[in-house]
Amino acid sequence: MAGKAHRLSAEEREQLLPNLRAVGWNELEGRDAIFKQFHFKDFNRAFGFMTRVALQAEKLDHHPEWFNVYNKVHITLSTHECAGLSERDINLASFIEQVAVSMT
Amino acid sequence: MVSKLSQLQTELLAALLESGLSKEALIQALGEPGPYLLPADGPRDKGESCGGGRGELAELPNGLGEARGSEDETDDDGEDFTPPILKELENLSPEEAAHQKAVVETLLQEDPWRVAKMVKSYLQQHNIPQREVVDTTGLNQSHLSQHLNKGTPMKTQKRAALYTWYVRKQREVAQQFTHAGQGGLIEEPTGDELPTKKGRRNRFKWGPASQQILFQAYERQKNPSKEEREALVEECNRAECIQRGVSPSQAQGLGSNLVTEVRVYNWFANRRKEEAFRHKLAMDTYSGPPPGPGPGPTLPAHSSPGLPPPALSPSKVHGVRYGQPATSEGEEVPSSSGGPLVTVSAPLHQVSPTGLEPSHSLLSTEAKLVSATGGPLPPVSTLTALHSLEQTSPGLNQQPQNLIMASLPGVMAIGPGEPASLGPTFTNTGASTLVIGLASTQAQSVPVINSMGSSLTTLQPVQFSQPLHPSYQQPLMPPMQSHVAQSPFMATMAQLQSPHALYSHKPEVAQYTHTGLLPQTMLITDTTNLSALASLTPTKQEAALLPQVFTSDTEASSESGLHTPASQTTTIHIPSQDPAGIQHLQPAHRLSASPTVPSSSLVLYQSSDSNNGHSHLLPSNHSVIETFISTQMASSSQ
Repeated sequence: MAGKAHRLSAEEREQLLPNLRAVGWNELEGRDAIFKQFHFKDFNRAFGFMTRVALQAEKLDHHPEWFNVYNKVHITLSTHECAGLSERDINLASFIEQVAVSMT
Repeated sequence: MVSKLSQLQTELLAALLESGLSKEALIQALGEPGPYLLPADGPRDKGESCGGGRGELAELPNGLGEARGSEDETDDDGEDFTPPILKELENLSPEEAAHQKAVVETLLQEDPWRVAKMVKSYLQQHNIPQREVVDTTGLNQSHLSQHLNKGTPMKTQKRAALYTWYVRKQREVAQQFTHAGQGGLIEEPTGDELPTKKGRRNRFKWGPASQQILFQAYERQKNPSKEEREALVEECNRAECIQRGVSPSQAQGLGSNLVTEVRVYNWFANRRKEEAFRHKLAMDTYSGPPPGPGPGPTLPAHSSPGLPPPALSPSKVHGVRYGQPATSEGEEVPSSSGGPLVTVSAPLHQVSPTGLEPSHSLLSTEAKLVSATGGPLPPVSTLTALHSLEQTSPGLNQQPQNLIMASLPGVMAIGPGEPASLGPTFTNTGASTLVIGLASTQAQSVPVINSMGSSLTTLQPVQFSQPLHPSYQQPLMPPMQSHVAQSPFMATMAQLQSPHALYSHKPEVAQYTHTGLLPQTMLITDTTNLSALASLTPTKQEAALLPQVFTSDTEASSESGLHTPASQTTTIHIPSQDPAGIQHLQPAHRLSASPTVPSSSLVLYQSSDSNNGHSHLLPSNHSVIETFISTQMASSSQ
């Protein structure tokens, strides 16, 4: 189990979130989570992306909430243990960005 | 490896691989026994696939299953050893590991003999001791040696282990060289197979390229100063790097075979001792060669000539053109007996012109012979040097061996089997040295060797600077051409030595694309020798591929007369050899037929025959050799 399950403090958020916000992640209302929608060329790419993310999620032991229809993938990240955002989310989000960029 | 995949499948696979899953593990997880799967261990993947796969694999029969017993097992487990640590370290990239496996697969599909030759030449090129292969692969050394040298069949699984080692080793060595400048070797330096066995570095071994340089230097000065030694160190390392196809600046990559100043010093010291020993033996032999256990069947006619050994004057060897006297000798021989005749005349051709630059091979042969004569074995190094040359003439008949030795004062590698061939030669005392050689040859069978040894010792002044110089790489061939004449000849001669005599280090020179340089002194102008040599076959046929033996005649005069018998000889004897030998012999004829062959253009080729009728000699090698031969012939004919 990866550590860092504590809820991010305001300072931390201020520090870490802007980067994510810049690439398209948004904070959800009514929930302490971040969300982003991804579009891919086709289902194959989308699912390939999802596979990579899934494998990494397993490794990090931190899983996203996501939705997929054909070439679209909606991802919501939040940490259950702290009922809000934690470093794990930030990590996973960074990884997701990396993969998304490398894909299509 | 993979047939058409749908895009999604490709994506998924890519995703899997990118996630750190090694191909091996993936395939493993699939329970696919198809490709030779190495239990490679990529970064652990917590994914269930791996775990599940592993569980399934546990049920796989045979080596595949057991090899995969645990995630920690490495390729070497398939090969029987290597700790997992090495594996993980080595297979930094799953892609690379997969690539390696693919290469192994390809090799397994190919003709085992061809691959064996490739592996063997690689071993020679990098001077890797077989022991290292055996230690990492778990194969039996004898079996491995036989497979590589003679083509003894090896089961697929074991071959896979061998090829895997080969592929890994190549990568390792490449890394070694690229990191040479960085001062560090990755997990497995050439000399070590396991980190746990750090104490056991591979023993240093002189490469043929270095030896050539050293012999040349030895010729110039037997006792180099420290500065000179250091210069030689640089030169040798450079040559070794070139031989391996690596930039000389990466000399550190040579690992355990790196030439150092101390090693050069020792080499010179050993050569000096060797020479002293040979000289001593020569002295002993001179004073009275023991009658020896005269090989009854071998030299029946030998008794006739009353050639006094003393007649064999060392100094004469140099300037003497054996061709003529030999020729007359040869001609007379026929009259006495067909068989011997041929053989007798044959050797005559082989002598290289004295004017040629000596090659160490001759020396080695000398040493070898001398040792035989002397009874007590000479220093090991002497034999070693000689033996390095031995390999080159697998294609030659044994018969004329005695003759050759006899007829060629300098050339000696004639084996014991020749019956009475030397006899007739003695009828004519014309060729002093030659006759003497023969005479002395008579005395003993292996004695033939002995006598030659004595005659050789007299040749002491003849120095050979060119040891066999195999060219590992195609690009190197052209530059080698000038030397080609030298060692192959000696190699042949050495080869001719009876296998039971002393050592038979075939492995050393075997696979080189061309057998190197002939000692120039060996070029005795007698064309008849050519055929004799050509018809010589090694008693013990090694798998080494060697071009056939040629001897170009430096003596224009006596050639014509000798040609016929020579040709006949060749023709006669060839059939007895491998068919492969025949192919190559033809060019030899032509070569010998050129009367005005420049002195140093002795080209020795021997058809190599892997002993048990491996009819498929390395075509590539042959073609290379053929090309080379024709080149030589062309040049010599000019």
